[in-house]
Amino acid sequence: MIPSLKLTALSLLLASSGLAMAADPIKIGVDGPFTGGSSSMGVSMRDGVRLAVDEINKSGGVLGRKLEVVERDDEAKNERGVQIAQELINKEKVAALVGYINTGVALASERFFQEAKIPVMNNVATGSIVTHQFDDQPDNYIFRNAAHDSIQAPMIVEEAITRRGFKKVAILADSTNYGQLGRADLEKALELKGIKPVAVEKFNIKDVDMTAQLLKAKEAGAEAILTYGIGPELAQIANGMTKLGWKVPMVGSWTLSMANFIDNAGPGGEGARMPQTFIQEATTPKRKAFIENYLKTFKPKNNRIDSPVSAAQGYDSVYLLAAAIKQAKSTDGPKIKEALEDLKTPVEGVVTIYNRPFSKTDHEAITANIPVFGEVKGERVVFAYPDDAKKASEVRLKDANAKGALAVPAKKK
Amino acid sequence: MQIFTQLIYSGIALGMIYAVIAFGYQLTFATSDTLNFGQGDALMLGALVGLTLVGLGVNYWLMIPMVCVFGAVQGMVVERIGVRPAIKIKSEFGWIMSTIALGIIFKNVAENVWGHDDLKFPSPLPESPIKFLGANVLPMEILVVVGAIALMAAVEVFNRRSIYGKAVVATFNDRDAAKLMGINTGLVITFSYALSSMSAAFAGVLIAPLTLTGATMGAVLGLKAFAVAIIGGLTSGMGIIVGGIILGIAETTTGFYLSTGYKDVPGLVLLLVVLALKPAGLFGKTVIKKV
Repeated sequence: MIPSLKLTALSLLLASSGLAMAADPIKIGVDGPFTGGSSSMGVSMRDGVRLAVDEINKSGGVLGRKLEVVERDDEAKNERGVQIAQELINKEKVAALVGYINTGVALASERFFQEAKIPVMNNVATGSIVTHQFDDQPDNYIFRNAAHDSIQAPMIVEEAITRRGFKKVAILADSTNYGQLGRADLEKALELKGIKPVAVEKFNIKDVDMTAQLLKAKEAGAEAILTYGIGPELAQIANGMTKLGWKVPMVGSWTLSMANFIDNAGPGGEGARMPQTFIQEATTPKRKAFIENYLKTFKPKNNRIDSPVSAAQGYDSVYLLAAAIKQAKSTDGPKIKEALEDLKTPVEGVVTIYNRPFSKTDHEAITANIPVFGEVKGERVVFAYPDDAKKASEVRLKDANAKGALAVPAKKK
Repeated sequence: MQIFTQLIYSGIALGMIYAVIAFGYQLTFATSDTLNFGQGDALMLGALVGLTLVGLGVNYWLMIPMVCVFGAVQGMVVERIGVRPAIKIKSEFGWIMSTIALGIIFKNVAENVWGHDDLKFPSPLPESPIKFLGANVLPMEILVVVGAIALMAAVEVFNRRSIYGKAVVATFNDRDAAKLMGINTGLVITFSYALSSMSAAFAGVLIAPLTLTGATMGAVLGLKAFAVAIIGGLTSGMGIIVGGIILGIAETTTGFYLSTGYKDVPGLVLLLVVLALKPAGLFGKTVIKKV
């Protein structure tokens, strides 16, 4: 950058923030859907991020500089995500980005950060290929601290087939990238168990009638429904089952924990099970503090975080980045990336304690042994198995050799 | 057979939802040759206002007339701000842009007032299904069908029997002649917009317990209803009902017998076929425009 330009940018920044600080803040981009059907995840993630940034700034910031978040609403639209990526890189000049809820948006937007050599900490989007888009390049700037679908799909299958003994299952997935990539993962995981789903059905965002899909599943004799979708449509599935007077268990991706599923499905949603990296229960002092702070600051309805997983992962993503910036002693993209791949001090997060979470070739902080099964009960997500609840205070650490994840396919050309 | 019945029921319920929204398009088209492209948003506003009233403790049935009044006022606002200026300067397309713009504004306002999430609308009727001829129906679905037909019948009777209704019909037949006969056609057009948004708001509270309630609920429904209005014909009440049911059943049966991935296709193919063969719609009267 030309020095004079840098100066102008700096003075503009100071003028706009009204702060006469010696060191300019470190800008962190936050991108997520704060409106629309995915907003409960986006808003919870954003609030988790705000909470972490606040805490870090109160204790002196990073490298003596404050963190500043630049929040943008991508409305869960791929094209909005692309615009925002360009704006954050070229205009706001962020040091790093946290966010992405929707796999499609992440896939469409990440290449701009990859090209600009700015690290992305993906904290919610779960599509398996999200961190593998640039495997063929020497450096990969995309990291993730969410349970990816190659973990979730086998967990769902394990729960439905092995633990609960269902032989015939139907898959209902939405038509977005998220739903269809998840469906492919589910089919693969079922195949490993030698099972073929009796029905594989699709639905669109904003569909209000699920009769056809459910009837097909019912006719095929499905004993359980495996889902990959987001809250509002998942609720329509539960409501559709109530209408048809046909009730089989729902087991699906972690989105079954979204507030807009639980609220809109009402009694029909009770008993739905999903993998969760975090359940809103104060099982460790760190989690207790996080939950209390969150409830105090954002005052969600009924003291229930809309999407506890998103909030926790959003919070952790900032701490991971802050640790990397501290270690790199720089806000330079490549240096932050290198630090992330070789984090020397463990980072205590809400989900887990991140002890060397990433390496040059492994950009996933969450492994198959970390998530537990949650269940909707009394309009909240609780531990599905009492055993998990009992052992919840033992933080589950990353285990790169944990079994149960699907091999991630090589990048499609 | 039971499956087929179930699909038909769901298709009819879905179709009547589309029909009652499409009916609103028809009302304004009948008087002014214009459409309110913010129809879906009028529906959304009605549902959200209804939800707020119910939240304040107003009984569901008492809330309906209040929402209707709100809808009527909202329709008048749309007409005054968006449509009248365009009609005045005889602009062919001005009203399209302005009604779309107003729709977007309403949506944004709703997002700020009611938030971005889809909310649950408490059902006034029991939520457990009733068995009827071997298939399940929700009491709320029956209410939608009955409510939609009642609303359309009421408006039709009003148009045919009352003197004010005759003014509406006269304005439709020949706006200039009606004006010469002493009919305040401007008022009639305002009135038709009020009626149109009122029916949308009514449709909103009617279907909200079945769909979900939120600022974005109107977009897809408004569009599907537009397809229904085209298929059935913009000038025929009967056509709207038939068009709605055809589209609804096409969606559910294709979903089941063909593939749920293609369920929106047959309805839209039908739309194209109708446009190609009978542009005025299945039941529409072909009007020869004399220039």
